[in-house]
Amino acid sequence: MMLYGPLIVWLGLSFFGPYDVTQGVYSKLLYIHVPTVWVAYLGYTLTFLYSVLYFFTKKNKYDSLAMANAKSGVVFTVVTLLAGSYWGKQTWGTWWVWGDARLNLTAILLLVYLGYIASRQFNKDLAKTARNSSFIGIFGVIQIPILHFSVIWWRSVHQQASILSQETVASGDAPMSTDILVTLLLSVLLVTLVHVFLTKKFRITNDILWDDYLNPKSRAKI
Amino acid sequence: MKKNFIIVLLGIGLIIYASTIIASRNTIYYYTTSETLEINISDSERIKLGGFVVEDSISKDGGFTIFTITDGNKDIEIIFDGFVPDLFQENMGVILDGTLNDDTFYADDMLVKHDNEYVSSDGETYNVENYSE
Repeated sequence: MMLYGPLIVWLGLSFFGPYDVTQGVYSKLLYIHVPTVWVAYLGYTLTFLYSVLYFFTKKNKYDSLAMANAKSGVVFTVVTLLAGSYWGKQTWGTWWVWGDARLNLTAILLLVYLGYIASRQFNKDLAKTARNSSFIGIFGVIQIPILHFSVIWWRSVHQQASILSQETVASGDAPMSTDILVTLLLSVLLVTLVHVFLTKKFRITNDILWDDYLNPKSRAKI
Repeated sequence: MKKNFIIVLLGIGLIIYASTIIASRNTIYYYTTSETLEINISDSERIKLGGFVVEDSISKDGGFTIFTITDGNKDIEIIFDGFVPDLFQENMGVILDGTLNDDTFYADDMLVKHDNEYVSSDGETYNVENYSE
């Protein structure tokens, strides 16, 4: 229930929220596209931190947390790609632009973390699997700064950042109307909550796997 | 264990290598109008050209849309034959795909490049110069 509350409020807010007059109603996809990708970044950053912690401490709870954050990150990356693609169709005039740095790098980001999840199946020994996967969790995070600055480093069809840009951070003025800005920031907060509860859910699955691995006898009884 | 570990490392290496290749190949995803007039390209070579639509330059001629784009310094006339996105209008950024013939650009594919400003119907506008290109 804690998961669906913020989810419903967020979707309602996106549906009834204000929109950019030039782009039309489809610019409401801003409230889906931007918060989900930020929270995906958050998830992968946490995957990185927990992977480092697991690598040095070998405590299974850190592996569970790294895995849960990566799973949730993948969910939000898929959402951001779908919302972004639909937005692109409505404004740019195309679903996808092959050859655009930001779009391609986002697709690769998704593939890397799908790879992270797939790597959990490489070895039947969970401790070895966790150690191997922690490498992907650690190195995968390099992509986030590259992705964020891709629109500055390379010419892109994608618009520049509105909030996390040098101009906005320096001046404190985002290039958007106050009502749009407030709706966007509320969406970010709500999606972060969704992520927290989604991660909790995924963590339980991983904890059960670890429990089975560490206490094989209790499993035999079932 | 060793084998799996090597597979994982190879996988990461491949991904990082692929992303650098993809990224470096696309450092110039499109040319500006000034660049297009400076570089030597043959009549048949397809390039991508980006710029802003000049005010009062849009006209229709049969199935063609004729307009001028600029990067602030040089203008190029565009003869466009293709799907026009809804958002296409004056002062909007566009990226066109086509060929250059005697300083006229014949394009059949258009992307509208929207800026990062969001102004609601009752909202105030901000004047932030975010376009450094």
